[in-house]
Amino acid sequence: MEWFIAKVLAKYNYWVFIILMLIGFYGIIAKHNLIKKIIGLNIFQTAIFLYFISLGAVKGGTAPIVSEEMVQKGYPYANPLPHVLILTAIVVSVATTAVALSLIIRLYQEYGTIEEGEIIQQLNKKELDQDRTSPS
Amino acid sequence: MNGKKREDNVIVETIARIMAPFIQLFALYVIIHGTGGPGGGFQGGVVFASAFILYVIAFDLSGGRKRFPESANIFFSSFGLYIYAGIGLLSILFTAGAAQYLNYGFIPFTSHFEENRALGMDIVEIGIGITVMAVTASIFFDLAGKKEEDEKKEEEEPR
Amino acid sequence: MNKLEVAALVPIILLCGLFVYVAEDIPVFGDPNAAPIRYVEIFSIDSDEEGELLEQQIVPQKLTRGLVERGFPPPSRLEKVPGPPGEWNAFIAKDEAHYAREEKYYFIRREKGKLKVYRYAFVVRWIEKGLQETAVPNMVTYGLADYRGYDTLGETTVIFTAGVSVILLLRRRSRL
Repeated sequence: MEWFIAKVLAKYNYWVFIILMLIGFYGIIAKHNLIKKIIGLNIFQTAIFLYFISLGAVKGGTAPIVSEEMVQKGYPYANPLPHVLILTAIVVSVATTAVALSLIIRLYQEYGTIEEGEIIQQLNKKELDQDRTSPS
Repeated sequence: MNGKKREDNVIVETIARIMAPFIQLFALYVIIHGTGGPGGGFQGGVVFASAFILYVIAFDLSGGRKRFPESANIFFSSFGLYIYAGIGLLSILFTAGAAQYLNYGFIPFTSHFEENRALGMDIVEIGIGITVMAVTASIFFDLAGKKEEDEKKEEEEPR
Repeated sequence: MNKLEVAALVPIILLCGLFVYVAEDIPVFGDPNAAPIRYVEIFSIDSDEEGELLEQQIVPQKLTRGLVERGFPPPSRLEKVPGPPGEWNAFIAKDEAHYAREEKYYFIRREKGKLKVYRYAFVVRWIEKGLQETAVPNMVTYGLADYRGYDTLGETTVIFTAGVSVILLLRRRSRL
């Protein structure tokens, strides 16, 4: 029982990160709708942010803003370095999602569908038609 | 939205008109108090853009376009980046011998080295806030707009 | 259609096994003495007489030799940590090319007949000297805009580029 608590329950941020990341990874690979793939990408990125910030938590520590009382107690602050790096990463995630959604809108305007299988079928049919007409 | 009469949307339109300036005021508060508490440039910029998005949801897309025209989008999204790079070049001017980029301490706003750094950080955060606001609102307007040919078909049909 | 889902589950199960295998080395959630937060262990010496030398605030030869072998700068001054006995802070001297003034670098602790030598993480300097060097109390803001200002410039360029590329993709006019 002590083995279970020390090794499994004390690291619960790690298990939550693994479950979310594998859900997002499954969504990127195995779904056919393009919008569901983008949602899977977002879940993946959110899991990474969650884990990286949870590495810097301190039990009994406060938010990283300097104040007089905390200095006297010996600086029990949460680590501010992951916060800085993840702010940049969140903005990169927003930019990637915006460009991906605009690409999906252009694909819908050209082919009339968002399913991946039907887009590939239409592309193959276009290639077959071109091969049939060009040598003749 | 075009088929309904104007009286159906009175509550939503009135609330959007009242709430939009307060949301922008809160966004300015978050940007400027980035040094004294939680907040900063990125967070305040997105809250500022959400006021425009609320306006687009209540009124139609053309009604929202009147408040955020294309010339404002082009001007603001590059102005914030100019401020950021401009502060860096200004600090090169004032460290004449060994030039250092983005070392705000040598720009003579006040007489202390540390207070110059705090004021340089304030200006940089305002620049980031302006750019993030313009880009977020512009992305939303583009993703919600219709294609040019559909607009022409809609204009030709009632004739 | 089912082939794709089955083929996606295989690498997921393999990755799951790998993550469970690595779970031993992950630190406990919220530990204030885990590696990246406060200090990282370098090595440990069996203390014969170094303990008395450290009490008199003289840097022992074995410590300097062990640090220089591993590629770290040698310590110049010792100071006792106020609090429990058996802990010292070691400083390194001013070096014009890298450090503008004297820095607190190593942490030495005596436990169970051995001397353990740690190196402080960079975040400790951020937390302790930030309000004095920049007159701003918010640690995340002076980390983003002052100590890491170059990264934030690149970040603003990224979001500007995203705005420009969405405009390019979605506004095609026939006369362009």
